[in-house]
Amino acid sequence: MSDALIVWLLYLALAYLSIGVLFAIPFVLWRIDHIDASAVKSTRGFRLIVFPGAVALWPVLLNRLSTSTSDLPRERTAHKEIQQ
Amino acid sequence: MGHTYEAVGWNRQKKHYDGVLWSGILLYLAVFVGGGLLWSPDSTLETLLIRGTSTLAFLLLHVILSIGPLTRLHPGFLPLLYNRRHLGVSMFIVALVHGVLSIVQFHAMGDINPILSIFVNDSVPDWSTGFPFQPLGLFGLIILFLMAATSHDFWLNQLTAPVWKSLHMLVYLAYALLFGHVIFGIVQDTSSLIPLILTVAGALWLVCLHLVAGFREKKRDTPATSKDGFVRVCRVDEIELNRAVTALVGRERVAIFRSDKEITAISGVCQHQNGPLGEGRIIDGFVTCPWHGYQYCPLTGKSPEPFTESVPTFRTAIEDGQVFVSEIPDPENIHSPASLTGDKVND
Repeated sequence: MSDALIVWLLYLALAYLSIGVLFAIPFVLWRIDHIDASAVKSTRGFRLIVFPGAVALWPVLLNRLSTSTSDLPRERTAHKEIQQ
Repeated sequence: MGHTYEAVGWNRQKKHYDGVLWSGILLYLAVFVGGGLLWSPDSTLETLLIRGTSTLAFLLLHVILSIGPLTRLHPGFLPLLYNRRHLGVSMFIVALVHGVLSIVQFHAMGDINPILSIFVNDSVPDWSTGFPFQPLGLFGLIILFLMAATSHDFWLNQLTAPVWKSLHMLVYLAYALLFGHVIFGIVQDTSSLIPLILTVAGALWLVCLHLVAGFREKKRDTPATSKDGFVRVCRVDEIELNRAVTALVGRERVAIFRSDKEITAISGVCQHQNGPLGEGRIIDGFVTCPWHGYQYCPLTGKSPEPFTESVPTFRTAIEDGQVFVSEIPDPENIHSPASLTGDKVND
């Protein structure tokens, strides 16, 4: 793998994480309870603990915010798929 | 869960667990570094810390990977499962210390970016003189970070248990990467065979443990034979009071429980972390998961308030002392259990 390609991949990773930080800060401060009712009145320690994950998985959380619901996603197991 | 999130749901047992864990971690590092300074006075503190944290993190990873199959083989190991995520996060912290110290010692003093330097190490110009093992370590650490960062129940709920579980199954990829990191690092760093033998022995232990546990689980999953939309599971007297028998129905296990008066059946997969509900018991009228204590009503499949989890239920029937379970879950979890009182069977 050439050095130039490695550099570009690292820049890409840096860009991804930078966007993640910019997203995660307002998310854990003001928007987290919009996607999970259990996060309402949650502790500062909790918001600090989920911050790294919010930086890493910001696309998932952004998608959840776009659905405008605090209902938790329904898991898909073999039995629940048959039930539906 | 229908309650407010905290950073860590501390209780007395968790505090005791973490106290013992971190005492052990600090003791290990103290003995390793102290012993290293006595045995090899020329070694620097930083080098000993790098080696100490690497061996400790890798050892903890072996312990973590052993817990799952051990609990499948014997329920006596279940207490080790309860706070496994604390063990995992602690292991990541130790591995992170190792990673940071290594980057500082080996890559921070050059002209290029330290992270870039991991991939373009000039001291190893090609694979004939040394395998570039450091990127393997970095990728392994990234996976461990993802797992630690998503260890809270918030992520379990946002991703759902099956997706969360799949993410955390990446621990095996992390292990493979770190195995390569350790093996190729050892080969280049020391002429002693002992570290190599121990590393290979650790891998063999994990492989054998998983194979034994896997074969044993596979034997339990023989699909039940179907008739008229029901499958025969077992005899009534084979089910202990307040315990369950499991059967493979619809690609997943169903747990058939027996209470004083009736036989009920629910999906055998806990909504929390997909634990084996069939290995739990009925406590205070609720099916209780043996892994983390999540509860479900055996009739409705719903958790007691204020919790909101639920699992599918299945119709049951008894004929000539044999228990039958429907192949398809109840569409709305309105369940009619099979009576044990000799009355007409409900189905």
